[in-house]
Amino acid sequence: MKGIVFVKFNEFVEQCWGDEFWDELLEEAQLASQGIYTTIGTYADQELFTLIDLVVIKKNISSKQAQIAFGEWVFKELYNVAPNDVHDFKDVFEFLHAVQNVIHVEVKKLNPDALLPEFEFLSESATHLSFNYLSPRQLCFFCEGIVLGLAKHTGQEIKVSQAECQHEGGQRCVIEVEKL
Amino acid sequence: MTEPTNSGLSPLDKKISVLERKVEREKKARKMAERQLEDYSLKIYETNRSLQSSLALSRKKQGELEYLGEASAVVVSEVSVIELLTKTVSLTGHFFEAECGFSVITKNGQFVASQQNELWNKDNDWQANVEFIQKACDLLPLGQVEPFDSWLVSPLESNEQQIFKGFKWQVYVNFKLNKDSMAWIVFFSAQDYLDEESLYVLETARGHLVSGIRRRLTDARIIKRTIELQDTVNDLERAKRQILQSEKMASLGQLAAGVAHEINNPIAFISSNTQVLNQYFADYQQMHQKLEHMLSNDQGLSLLSYQAICTEMDIDYINSDIVDLLSSNTDGLTRVKEIVDNMKTFSHAGNEILSETCLCDCVEAGLKIARNVFTCELTVDNQLLPSCPVVMGNFGQLQQVFVNLFVNAAYAMDEGGTLSISQTPTADSLIIHVADTGRGMDEKTLNQLFTPFFTTKPVGVGTGLGLSVSYAILEAHGAKVQVDSRVGEGTTFNLSFPIIQLQP
Repeated sequence: MKGIVFVKFNEFVEQCWGDEFWDELLEEAQLASQGIYTTIGTYADQELFTLIDLVVIKKNISSKQAQIAFGEWVFKELYNVAPNDVHDFKDVFEFLHAVQNVIHVEVKKLNPDALLPEFEFLSESATHLSFNYLSPRQLCFFCEGIVLGLAKHTGQEIKVSQAECQHEGGQRCVIEVEKL
Repeated sequence: MTEPTNSGLSPLDKKISVLERKVEREKKARKMAERQLEDYSLKIYETNRSLQSSLALSRKKQGELEYLGEASAVVVSEVSVIELLTKTVSLTGHFFEAECGFSVITKNGQFVASQQNELWNKDNDWQANVEFIQKACDLLPLGQVEPFDSWLVSPLESNEQQIFKGFKWQVYVNFKLNKDSMAWIVFFSAQDYLDEESLYVLETARGHLVSGIRRRLTDARIIKRTIELQDTVNDLERAKRQILQSEKMASLGQLAAGVAHEINNPIAFISSNTQVLNQYFADYQQMHQKLEHMLSNDQGLSLLSYQAICTEMDIDYINSDIVDLLSSNTDGLTRVKEIVDNMKTFSHAGNEILSETCLCDCVEAGLKIARNVFTCELTVDNQLLPSCPVVMGNFGQLQQVFVNLFVNAAYAMDEGGTLSISQTPTADSLIIHVADTGRGMDEKTLNQLFTPFFTTKPVGVGTGLGLSVSYAILEAHGAKVQVDSRVGEGTTFNLSFPIIQLQP
């Protein structure tokens, strides 16, 4: 996974629970990288999962809640480092459609080896959009959080849920976005 | 001092150690990032280098392709062999970065100085330099009979001639032009090493050039052959015209006996008339003497005595007869003149220009000539009207055709008969029927009717060319010939001429 996710997760944890908590996490996690993250590096996915699991245990929250919260927070951080071209979007649905055709293209320019999730759009109306989230990392809750962060950015009120989820016995992860 | 915690460290100490670790991580992260940046820089540098070399390579390839493209364009153009060689020297010299170059044509292994004496140099201009070319040719194996399979390279470093100073290589090739001639293209290079790849490209261009030269030589041969063929056609055309004229003269020859007879007739009666006129002249002289005598003897000349003399000598009859005789002589001479005039027109070679021609006039003119051989038992029935349609034709040639047909008809009717000429106009043609009531022809004769030198006339009478020449003339007029013949009944020639659609 790209270093930016770890760097931002570090910032997120420190912002929520302080430097000491992050230090504590690293102490217990005993990671190969020793928590020395740079945005341009690439690190094992498992390190992020280990860190999230520790947060879940220590703060007594669900993994789902942790991922959603991080996703929602990280959106504006990633958005700020994205190229100017992607700053024109005013609508959640429009942005989600553009993810694969614009944003992921830009990501690939800088990181040709980046492993990116794919969205398979299933249905859409003026107020409702449903898509299949496809990623071997299965970070569907993180994705839900990002969509929420996106809505905060566009100033739209939305509800995000999953009609099916692999973490809850489903065959796939179908994310439903509804404008309120 | 801060309160010690359970772990034995005060909160402040703990905070410090957390921050220390954080700083340590940040430091390491920074180093890692810097290392990564260095790696990136190196990668970018290497990528740049490889891009630059790819660019240089593709520029070189582009240059090669441009050269080959231009060289091929010259090869497929219509320029002459010499121009092709000259342009190839410029293009190839420029591409090969040669110092100078030239092309020469050798004859029997000898340099021909007068043909090409210009040297191309790298500033892309040509200057006369026979001395250099001559000296450069001395280095070439000019005696080579067969062309080389590829460009040849020979080093010049050991050559101490001042004129070649600075040159390292002589690169050359040759092309066979014909049995004795060979074209050579020669370059001089000052480069330390010749680029092997450029030599391959030169080799490709050489292949094109070989086929280009071959094509031009083939074209030249074809042109030469075409000119020869054209000459032959012209000769044949001349021969044809001669045959036409000879045949006409031959038929005149056949006509000669008839013509002689025709001319003989008026001459005979003019001669006899002249004898009578001579007699009348003697009568008048006698009368003159009588009158003179009467006047000199002083007998006196009265009207009565004069009338008596006139009556005695039958002067009234003589007077009226003289008028008749002179008129008859004039007619006879006019007839002779007509015959001679017709012969003259007919024998005249004339040209082959087609113009609007009235077939009726043509037939009439033909009859005038042919009539000389007609016997008195032969009746002519010419039904053509002067108003018959006009055709594009050559009057003299068509007259020849008709004379020929009429003479043949007369020959077939030596015991008398009728020669009839009639017409059938159709929408786009005019058919002239020349029919005789002669002995007719069997199928074998009919089949050979238009064969040159075939004749049924006795030796010395016909040339056997009449109908074949007529056929050629009619063909040139776009006319079709169809013959009906029955043995013992007669023959009809049907000549179908395309008519001119006159503008309304």
